[in-house]
Amino acid sequence: MEEWKIDEMYDLIQQMHHLADELKKKAGGIQAVERNLDRILASIKMLELNVCDVKDVI
Amino acid sequence: MSKDHHIFWNPIIETLPPEKLQALQLKKFRRILTWAYNKSPFYRRLYQGAGLEPGDIKSLEDIRKIPKIEKGMMREVQQREPFPYGDMLAVPIEQVTAFRQTSGTSGIPVYQADTCQDWEWFSECWCYILYAHGYRSTDRVFIPFGYNIFVAFWAGHYAAEKLGCEVVPGGILDTQARILKMKELKCTAFMATPTYVLGMADAAKSKMGIDPAKDLYIEKITCAGEPGASIPTTKKRMEEAWGAKVYDHIGATEIGAWSYECTEQPGGLHVNEAFFLVEIEDLETGQLITEPGKEGKMVITAFDRMAKPCIRFDAMDVIHWANFQCDCGRTFRIIDGGVVGRADDITKVKGVLLAPTAIEEVIRSLSELGNEYEVVVSKRGDIDDILLKVEILPGKEGEREYILARLKDQLRVKTNLGYKIEVHPYGSLPRYEVKAKRFKDMRKKGG
Repeated sequence: MEEWKIDEMYDLIQQMHHLADELKKKAGGIQAVERNLDRILASIKMLELNVCDVKDVI
Repeated sequence: MSKDHHIFWNPIIETLPPEKLQALQLKKFRRILTWAYNKSPFYRRLYQGAGLEPGDIKSLEDIRKIPKIEKGMMREVQQREPFPYGDMLAVPIEQVTAFRQTSGTSGIPVYQADTCQDWEWFSECWCYILYAHGYRSTDRVFIPFGYNIFVAFWAGHYAAEKLGCEVVPGGILDTQARILKMKELKCTAFMATPTYVLGMADAAKSKMGIDPAKDLYIEKITCAGEPGASIPTTKKRMEEAWGAKVYDHIGATEIGAWSYECTEQPGGLHVNEAFFLVEIEDLETGQLITEPGKEGKMVITAFDRMAKPCIRFDAMDVIHWANFQCDCGRTFRIIDGGVVGRADDITKVKGVLLAPTAIEEVIRSLSELGNEYEVVVSKRGDIDDILLKVEILPGKEGEREYILARLKDQLRVKTNLGYKIEVHPYGSLPRYEVKAKRFKDMRKKGG
């Protein structure tokens, strides 16, 4: 399992999630920002399902 | 066992050792259970009524304590607010971005709510499927599907785009226009129900003088909606008609796309056990079946569908675990031969259990018979009658007696039942584009 850098990927995905959340807080109701962030967060969720969920069972 | 990671959409998950996969399943089951308990009034009522809280689930065995849900409950809950989904909904209604519904073949349709994230997830499930079927960014994929309220190939479309394929939406084009477009664009793959895969090939040959196996460029076909692609004789017919590999997958509107064949085609379908928990229960006792080869009813949980969670859903699909491994390297368990039938379709006729798929397997094994057929079970006094309507291919009518004798013989061997057989003119039985309705049990209608 060591060939995949799961810990590093996990950290980067969490950073992406945090960044998207922070940006959403600063969106000030601009729909063009908020709605695109919803799509980005949905994609980040797929990364979490594919990588982050596995981190503590591997 | 191959460990070529290029054959997996996600090699981390698809090759997890079984004990780690089980740990992942328990973690994800507890997460969706907690979500549903906290966010969905329906689930909270259900679990409180059973005296359970999410914290009570500490092992995979404990999951058996959680009440199951059935389609009837989904229909009933739709009478409640918020319209039109009812209080199974676990998100504010304004977060719902997609509506789909079931076909309603077994009653009032069930409405399915999905958020933007749920829809991304449905496509992600399909990415596992299409990648396992060999779809790559070099493929041009035709979707001969009337994009509408039924989920069918919507997620297949988005998943193909996500894989980097070029997607051609067949939409409202008629069958002949679709065939011409596939030929013009040299499409390499398409997705359809087995009935339509065969119907398109028939139309191409009989109405257009096009032989799909020679004149088109299709290399792979992904099937859904019916069991045909897991019935060897039907799969063979499709593969011969198109000169392409045919792959099966299984999914449902209210569940998601939970199972798929891989290119090794071991004779069954892998269950995506990282995204779904599949339990098989004995049809009569309800006991959990873990051993291979014993048929039972599927109870399924989708771990990551959030707007309208699907937790321990009694799907009525009859399946069994395979007693063989697959050489592809995936550790996901295999269901042997796909969905064998539905618990509400497998019916007793003359005291014998009859699965409609067994009849299809026999009909499609006789090359002189057309693709279409119809089975009508009725009752005359106390006696069940089975009428089987078939078509003999043009040019083969002279062999009628020989064909019917073989058909009767093989039906008796495969199903232990006798049939009254009617031969109908070729092309006269109903043709279907989506889900075929070939099995009619008139006894259930009091007829």
